[in-house]
Amino acid sequence: MNNEPTIFDELFAKIRPETLLGDPRATGEGISLAIIDSGIDASIIADRMQQNGHEYQPIEGAIFRNDVADLGPYLGKQSAPHGTIVADIILRLAPRVKIFSADVVGPGGMAEVETVVRAIYHAIEVWKCKIINLSLGVPEQKLHPIQKKHQIMRAIDEAYYRDVLIFAAAHNEHPIVHSYPAMFSPELISVDKAIFENEWQFAYELREHIEFQAYARGYLGPFSREPATSWATPHLAGIAAKILSLRPNLKLFEIKTILYWLFQSSKNGKKENQ
Amino acid sequence: MEESLVMITETILIVDDEDSVRRTFQDWLTQSGWNCQVIAVGDAESALAAANQQVIDLAILDWNLGTGSDGLQLLEDLCQFHSEIVAILVTGFAHQATPLQALRMGVRDYLDKNQDLNRDAFLAAVKRQLDFIIPAKRRRQWHDHLQAFREAIEQILPIVQTSATLNDPVPFPEAIQELFQFVQRTTRAMEGVLLVHSHESGSEKFLAYGSNGTCITSKLVPFSQSLAASVISLQEPAILSAEDLKFLGPVQLQPFEIGRQNILLTPMPVGGNVQVVLELFDKETSGGFTEEDRRFARAASGFGSELLKQALAERQTHRVLFNAIDAALHASKSLANPTDEFPTTPQSHAATSTDLLDRLREGFAATSQQVVSADLSVQLAEAIRLLARNHGTAAVTHCLHLVESVGKLLDEINPSSGY
Repeated sequence: MNNEPTIFDELFAKIRPETLLGDPRATGEGISLAIIDSGIDASIIADRMQQNGHEYQPIEGAIFRNDVADLGPYLGKQSAPHGTIVADIILRLAPRVKIFSADVVGPGGMAEVETVVRAIYHAIEVWKCKIINLSLGVPEQKLHPIQKKHQIMRAIDEAYYRDVLIFAAAHNEHPIVHSYPAMFSPELISVDKAIFENEWQFAYELREHIEFQAYARGYLGPFSREPATSWATPHLAGIAAKILSLRPNLKLFEIKTILYWLFQSSKNGKKENQ
Repeated sequence: MEESLVMITETILIVDDEDSVRRTFQDWLTQSGWNCQVIAVGDAESALAAANQQVIDLAILDWNLGTGSDGLQLLEDLCQFHSEIVAILVTGFAHQATPLQALRMGVRDYLDKNQDLNRDAFLAAVKRQLDFIIPAKRRRQWHDHLQAFREAIEQILPIVQTSATLNDPVPFPEAIQELFQFVQRTTRAMEGVLLVHSHESGSEKFLAYGSNGTCITSKLVPFSQSLAASVISLQEPAILSAEDLKFLGPVQLQPFEIGRQNILLTPMPVGGNVQVVLELFDKETSGGFTEEDRRFARAASGFGSELLKQALAERQTHRVLFNAIDAALHASKSLANPTDEFPTTPQSHAATSTDLLDRLREGFAATSQQVVSADLSVQLAEAIRLLARNHGTAAVTHCLHLVESVGKLLDEINPSSGY
């Protein structure tokens, strides 16, 4: 084989960050995104949007609790700061995306597997979201008995066949600790943390069930400077929301392909793995 | 237990030496639709044999039973079997009756064979007595069930208390002191705080303990805006510098976090609805906490979690269990007290009993190191209760020996599964 470019190389060379992400229409407009996390402090987000010169779109949502059948109303509050930091990252990258807050932490302070699964179905069926951001991973030991693992697998399956893109964080101790649902990477976009020069950079690096790495720092609060998969995941979700606003019906494998070729066409900027 | 109360039926004994009268009374009662059990016999001997077999609620007795015996004499004998028995006396010779003596012996009504004794009058008389008997009988059964339940709980209580003593070796303040001694010595942290957040039955608690194990009384920032909540979401230790603490965003600092140069935060998984975060402040030496400190904190969280589980989660488990048992005993005492208002419907008994069992189940389920399911635990408690009630303490002791034998046998077969 010679090293001459093939038609594929020529084709995919056109997929470049400046053409896709630099497109003025790539704002996240028309895309609904569910943040399944610890709730979002809406007033903080509204202030941040104003500071950054963007119009604030009201956030909708609900509180999910494992011990209560009915959903609690979302009153613009957070159960922990984590979800607000995640929302801030996504809206920094895709300011026109419509955010839904699924607070699965609630007053109890911890998310249960069943609650996360309920929130995934709700985001798909009720909110009709195209993207789900899952920065809260579930460590493997919490998936016993095996039925819990099956529950979350079925929810991921459902999302895949309904053309919903799930972005899931690997555990910060990956690959020592396996985190779900990121481990089901063929049917979702699994994200690990890495250090990059800026928030638009990411990498495709297939290893230990995880496919992508993304910029791992946030912008809000004391923990944001600490590189974490929780902050890497919304970066890639925000980038996908921008791309989807150009073509909202792209499927998971198409988005993965585009992200892959975006990375291939701009292989620089990554400083080191964490 | 509830089922037996709901399905309760009364047993009516008819004793009359005249076949036609006996059959007529029996037909009237069986056709009444009252779902009573009716036993009809012709003499005192058969009546006593029937009473020996089962509890008689209402006896309808002929005054003159022939062969020299009378209804009043029979009633006296029946009372030996069941002191609460109520009777209606049927006589053709009303003037022979001795009302005072009869009333003392439980005769509540007379039916005169010679004066308009028809179906309606007969059934009306029986109905009057059943209306009196049924609630009284239910009350007695209610009392018996509660008594049995209380005895069973009292039998279980020492076992639970012994188990609690064995499983609760470290009091909470001492556990905190030990933990801080260990981590401060290694990280050279100058101070530390342990934050404990719990949420149970809609009630939220957020407490901070100093390194000496005492509770810090200053007002805390809500958990939802705390550094502790953030680090629990991240699921791993984090180091914050004074620079980090300048950008608070969705976070507020606790009084003891303000002005710190360095904070090392470590989430400690203890299970249940409890979240614990260990915060260490400022090193004795210059420079902030290092990656080595973070790695140590991660390792220490395993040890610390186990220590705190013992002191905190087990304590909580036992408290829930003791609360449930205490509630059961309290309920049984107050309900068994005849001066208390009697619950009039079987449903109220069912609800109370279910509630108590649910609370017991919750108590068992709350254990952080559960080896037997909650349902199995309750089944075991119920089995012990029945065994004790039906066969006494000796049977329970024998049962314990059997369990020990099975344990030894299994240990021999599979030694690795032992303790």
